[in-house]
Amino acid sequence: MTSRLIFRVLMALVAFAVLARIPVGFDVGFKFDAGLAVIWAFALLSLVLLTGYVGQISLCQATFAGIGAYTAGMMSATFHVDYIVAVAAGVAAAFVLGLLVGLPALRLHGITLAIVTLGIALVFDRYVFQDHAFEWLTGGTGGWRVGQTSMFGLQMDSSKHLMGAYVVLLALFCVVALLMVNLHESGAGRRFRAIRDSELAAATMGVNLTRYKLLAFGMSAAIAGMGGAFYPLVAGSVSPQPFWLFTSLQFAAIAVLMGVRYVPAAALGGAFMAFVPDVLTRYGHGTLFGRPYEISYDWFQIAVGVLLIVQLITLPDGVWGDLRQRVLHMRSAVGGLGGRKVKVA
Amino acid sequence: MTMLRVRDMTVRFGGIVALDGVSLDLNRGEILGLIGPNGAGKTTLFNCISGVIAPDKGTIFFEGHSLVYAPPHVRARFGIARTFQNLQLWGSMTVAENLVVPMDALGRRNTFSDALHLPFSSYAERASMERARAILHVLDLDRYAGTLAGDLPAGIQRRVEIARALAMRPRLLLLDEPAAGLDAQETARLAELLHAVRERFHVSMLLVDHDMSLVMRVCDYVYVLDFGKLLARGQPAAIRSDPKVIAAYLGEESKKLEGEVATVVPTRPQQAPLLEVKQLAAGYGGLEVVRDIDLAVRPGEVVACIGANGAGKTTTLRAISGMIHPRRGRVMFGGRDVTGTSAERIAQLGLIHIPEGRGLFPNLSVEDTLRLVSNTAGHDVNITPAFELFPKLRQRRRQLVGTLSGGEQQMVALGRAILSEPRLVMIDEMSQGLAPTVVRQLFDIIRVFREQGIAVLLVEQFVESALDVADRAYVFEHGSIRLSGPAVELRADRKLVAGSYLGTAVDATAVAAANGNGNGHHVDPALMEIVSVRVPAKVKRALEQRAEVEGRPTGAVAIELLEKVDHQ
Ligand SMILES: Nc1ncnc2c1ncn2[C@@H]1O[C@H](COP(=O)(O)OP(=O)(O)OP(=O)(O)O)[C@@H](O)[C@H]1O
Ligand SMILES: [Mg+2]
Repeated sequence: MTSRLIFRVLMALVAFAVLARIPVGFDVGFKFDAGLAVIWAFALLSLVLLTGYVGQISLCQATFAGIGAYTAGMMSATFHVDYIVAVAAGVAAAFVLGLLVGLPALRLHGITLAIVTLGIALVFDRYVFQDHAFEWLTGGTGGWRVGQTSMFGLQMDSSKHLMGAYVVLLALFCVVALLMVNLHESGAGRRFRAIRDSELAAATMGVNLTRYKLLAFGMSAAIAGMGGAFYPLVAGSVSPQPFWLFTSLQFAAIAVLMGVRYVPAAALGGAFMAFVPDVLTRYGHGTLFGRPYEISYDWFQIAVGVLLIVQLITLPDGVWGDLRQRVLHMRSAVGGLGGRKVKVA
Repeated sequence: MTMLRVRDMTVRFGGIVALDGVSLDLNRGEILGLIGPNGAGKTTLFNCISGVIAPDKGTIFFEGHSLVYAPPHVRARFGIARTFQNLQLWGSMTVAENLVVPMDALGRRNTFSDALHLPFSSYAERASMERARAILHVLDLDRYAGTLAGDLPAGIQRRVEIARALAMRPRLLLLDEPAAGLDAQETARLAELLHAVRERFHVSMLLVDHDMSLVMRVCDYVYVLDFGKLLARGQPAAIRSDPKVIAAYLGEESKKLEGEVATVVPTRPQQAPLLEVKQLAAGYGGLEVVRDIDLAVRPGEVVACIGANGAGKTTTLRAISGMIHPRRGRVMFGGRDVTGTSAERIAQLGLIHIPEGRGLFPNLSVEDTLRLVSNTAGHDVNITPAFELFPKLRQRRRQLVGTLSGGEQQMVALGRAILSEPRLVMIDEMSQGLAPTVVRQLFDIIRVFREQGIAVLLVEQFVESALDVADRAYVFEHGSIRLSGPAVELRADRKLVAGSYLGTAVDATAVAAANGNGNGHHVDPALMEIVSVRVPAKVKRALEQRAEVEGRPTGAVAIELLEKVDHQ
């Protein structure tokens, strides 16, 4: 057990060290993408917990991220607090909203739950993030500008210190991801998975459904909100557009595509969501055989759709799930290298 | 001392009255039987007691607490544990983990310390794991500890359900058809186990089962439900001869005139076989479960497959019907090679398979399920024959299959198979979950099949009845066919069949654990094992000394110790 824990910590450290270096030397656009990738990865990680572990459906994860972003933006722009305090406030706000969204989940399942969370996303997208009544939170049409701020007392201007924000974000992600992997195998994780596998059995075997479902929604929202809270810092400002309904749907689609039960799949999905559209808009035009062509952002959406269909047919456990299967298979084929033996009489 | 007091329990589902003013008393330390025809409301009563559904009327008191407003997990804390008729294990977890969940959920644990793997959590975790292993050991399930529960055959899963319920350290255990799919010997062992559990852990039980041999052997007192009402109650012996109960549920037993039916063997051995299986091997993942299966069924012949749980019968049927791909060998049906053909295609050829899990769609109504047969058949099928066979289904035609009682679901599966006018029906655990009268009726139906020239390949827990109705039988053992021959011969050679069962099923430990520990000085081997696993020799010696001084069995002291460790 402990040796596995040490192994995981090492893996997280290595991943952090490698990923923290990658954007160095690239232009600002790529650095922004890198930050964005981690923000989206947080949102996908929140789905790993909620859907992958606990089996609950949510189509409003972008709303949670948005609440995190707006709360952090407001805290930073109006109260000029240290940015890490703003992040904490964003996480707390998202957590509370998550608990509220969790209430209907106590009664609803599957498609009805999906519709309700969709409704919540719609309300925030169309009303809360855009209405005058909530200007105190959203900062009006212009949103909040987070030009100059500091984190842990260090100067952290959004345009100049993008790398600083990225590194902090990445470090936080590694920690949360590690906790999530640990959670999976721990007692609490098992209680979550019990709810996923059979709610009926979980309840009669002593798992408090109310508590654990609410906790799952709260924690999931907090994780999405933590990523979102960094958005104003990375982007310099915050607007409703990144957190609209469609992003929520995209989270759901990409989480499933990459493998909704696996923590590393969230990182993979985040990178996919942030880089692919940008690469497409940068290099997706030119001339081919004398004809001009242009691959726009729309093509990305279509590609995700097609990939999702292909994946559901060929890799039902997601891209990462399939990769993992293969590696495990190879390991057990080689034998002895820690491939767990399963005894069946 | 009344432990459980149920008063005037009433449950309605739309127009159906599932329970109609049922009252019941269970004394501490008692094993109470609950029997009745399919759909009588037994599972519904369990659901009310464990808090899964809220009754329309009625009260439940457990150890003086009113349970009206207690959610299921609170009832679990009070000490009410249950098993499920339609298995509800957590399929993606290992068997050991399945046992650890309720232990942890009932202890005081914290999500954040769990995620951080704080020492407190790791310690509790290890203690739970040890206890899980001990329980698995007593139930002879230790070799499955690391297997995913969802991968196990249904018979084993049923035992894991019991283990999981025991892991909750219950005071009242609700068992919903624990003997379904078990053969006579396994049932006998289950009976011993239940007695032992009661003696040793002071658990009271409420037992639902259609296997009268189990109910009569284990229960102190029996309640009989019919149409949601209490039909009778009394000592097992009295219930057995109660004319009302016989009429509604048990049926006449006098029918059983040994040998008479069996002499009718009208099969024409010279006929070409309808189904021919040669050198079949099949399995899952990296595992080969059955091999070298040679088997043949002629038109109009009834063939039984018998053998202990896990001997490979289910896997063989699956490989024949195309649910899984055979690894090697060939399957010929009606003169055609159907090896590796898709399951739908094989069904269209007239080979119908009723799998263990019944293969029903929970969100379709009974009528729609039966109408679906037209799809495979390619023409409109009249569904009335199914209703004639099982009149009960006619009243339920609009109900969703998922909400039917276990036995009613089995009726739907059988009815659907019959409608598709098969040439060969393969039935896995045919009588599972069915009331004795219905089972008897089914065996009659099978005789009708034979007269109509429909062949039947049957996996059945009631070996005697199966051999009564069958022409021939195959005895499975360890994944291959150990023995085959005319049913008459096999039945006469009872010892042979019994021996074959023992081959896979016998386990000295569970029997010893069940028998032992009645007297003060008999050391229970299973429990000593637990002690030796988790405690250093010094502590163990101290333990033995203490047991001696207090004049109690070492096992009892050991359990006390385990509990202390767990609570810390
Ligand atoms: N959710 C539901 N909706 C409608 N009817 C239901 C529902 N649940 C149970 N019923 C009906 O209530 C009756 C009692 O069901 P129950 O499961 O208690 O029977 P049972 O005595 O356990 O039968 P079996 O021996 O077949 O398991 C059945 O006729 C069933 O169809
Ligand atoms: Mg039932």
